[in-house]
Amino acid sequence: MVLTFIDKTGATVLAALDTAGDFATLAGRTFAAIFKRPFDGKNLMNQFQAVGVHSLPVVILTSVAVSMVFAVQLAFGFRQFQAEGLAAQVEGLAIVRELGPVITGLMLSGRIGSAMAAELGTMQVTEQIDALECLATDPIHYLFVPRFLASIVVVPLLTVVSIYVGFWGGYLILVGVEGQSAFVYSHEFYKLLAFRDLRIALYKALVFGMIIALVGCWKGYRTQGGAEGVGNAPTSSVVTSSLWILISDFFLTKLLLV
Amino acid sequence: MALIDVVNLSKAFGPKVVLSNVNLQVQEGESLVVLGGSGTGKTVLLRNIMGLLTPDSGHVAIEGKIIAQLKRDELFKVRQSIGMCFQMAALFDSMTVFENVAFGLRRHLDITEDEIQARVDECLSLVGMKGTDKLKPAELSGGMKRRVGFARAIALKPKILLFDEPTTGLDPVMTDVIGRVILDLKHELGVTTITITHDLKSAFEIADRIALLFRGECLACEPPADFKVNPHPVIQQFLRGDAEGPFLQDPPPPKRKPKEVQS
Repeated sequence: MVLTFIDKTGATVLAALDTAGDFATLAGRTFAAIFKRPFDGKNLMNQFQAVGVHSLPVVILTSVAVSMVFAVQLAFGFRQFQAEGLAAQVEGLAIVRELGPVITGLMLSGRIGSAMAAELGTMQVTEQIDALECLATDPIHYLFVPRFLASIVVVPLLTVVSIYVGFWGGYLILVGVEGQSAFVYSHEFYKLLAFRDLRIALYKALVFGMIIALVGCWKGYRTQGGAEGVGNAPTSSVVTSSLWILISDFFLTKLLLV
Repeated sequence: MALIDVVNLSKAFGPKVVLSNVNLQVQEGESLVVLGGSGTGKTVLLRNIMGLLTPDSGHVAIEGKIIAQLKRDELFKVRQSIGMCFQMAALFDSMTVFENVAFGLRRHLDITEDEIQARVDECLSLVGMKGTDKLKPAELSGGMKRRVGFARAIALKPKILLFDEPTTGLDPVMTDVIGRVILDLKHELGVTTITITHDLKSAFEIADRIALLFRGECLACEPPADFKVNPHPVIQQFLRGDAEGPFLQDPPPPKRKPKEVQS
């Protein structure tokens, strides 16, 4: 009984270490392949379009919705203490430091991370990745690198968009509905912020971009088992990358705010 | 020295032994056909030759270079001299036929777009697919996909062509077309080929030698005329296409007599 438990625990730990090692190896190979030749500019541009341009609507809509609902909560909360003026300051702080990068990261893990896992998973089960190997092409260089580069550039850019849109979402509620002065809102929104806060947001977005691309590509590349495997890969990718975005957000916040 | 040298190759997946001490030598310009039932390790053999799988023991050598010992860059150099034709073609479905065939040329050769266009046209003509370059793989039939796969495989002018069950799932007429295309490629390009197939008709047309894999072992590897008269009961059963005999591990279901037609 005890031996079986120890045996099972050991097997689980070994499997987890194996998985972590596999991810680390593929991530390392991706970093190493960035500067390899040939450089496929067309492939990279396609990824910029898929990751960036096509993600714009979903980032704008979610950022507006979240910033508006956050403004409603803040206005309601601060009204209890007759401190409505603080709502814009806290709104600014929350959007730039947390909501902008995290909402963008989570939405993109659902949109592009899952798409990467599904695409590479399909390529894996239909032997297209083997065909790449047989055509003397490193799948890590051809498939991972353009997605990784597009993701680490686009996620910070979309985070800036999210912050900008978040400002106007808060404006709609606090100025349009709560009747605060537009001038005061614009001034108060930035009052508690420093340039460092935007820098922290961009650092976070960069790390989230890495997580989204690497996890999405890794889950797709390791797909097994035909249609069922292809179906599981995006789900697994979204769950894993969302989890790592939230966990890394905590550690990045602790680290970068020191 | 043989161009392709398979020495004591063994490969198992968990407890299932797929290849056990397989030895095969293929000389330059030779055409080897590998026969065998489903799950006897034919595709695993090709994947070991391409370096897509690593042998448990033994090795595969191409022009004396042991595949499993090569660094990745060296392996890619060797792979440029081998064209692999997959069972289901494995065309890149996000690309057109032209882009599929041009893929290797763009990656590995420093040539102009006009030269790429000319080479793609030449390859598509060789497989009887000229004029399809703007189509996507989803718009092609099974036989057309295989032929585009052949065109992609020959684009870099390889020394070796590997065909993994090129006729499986095709109708008899298309099977004959594919057999003829393989013969044309063999004669016009003078390449060394290994073809895995279940189709005995095209096997005897294509082959300089025929090998039969049975339960992970190579039972015979000889010219078609000798193979035909090989007295081994497994070979004779395979050639007859009969369910009765030592070929199957589990006994086949009893053969029912067809119902008599009532007059």
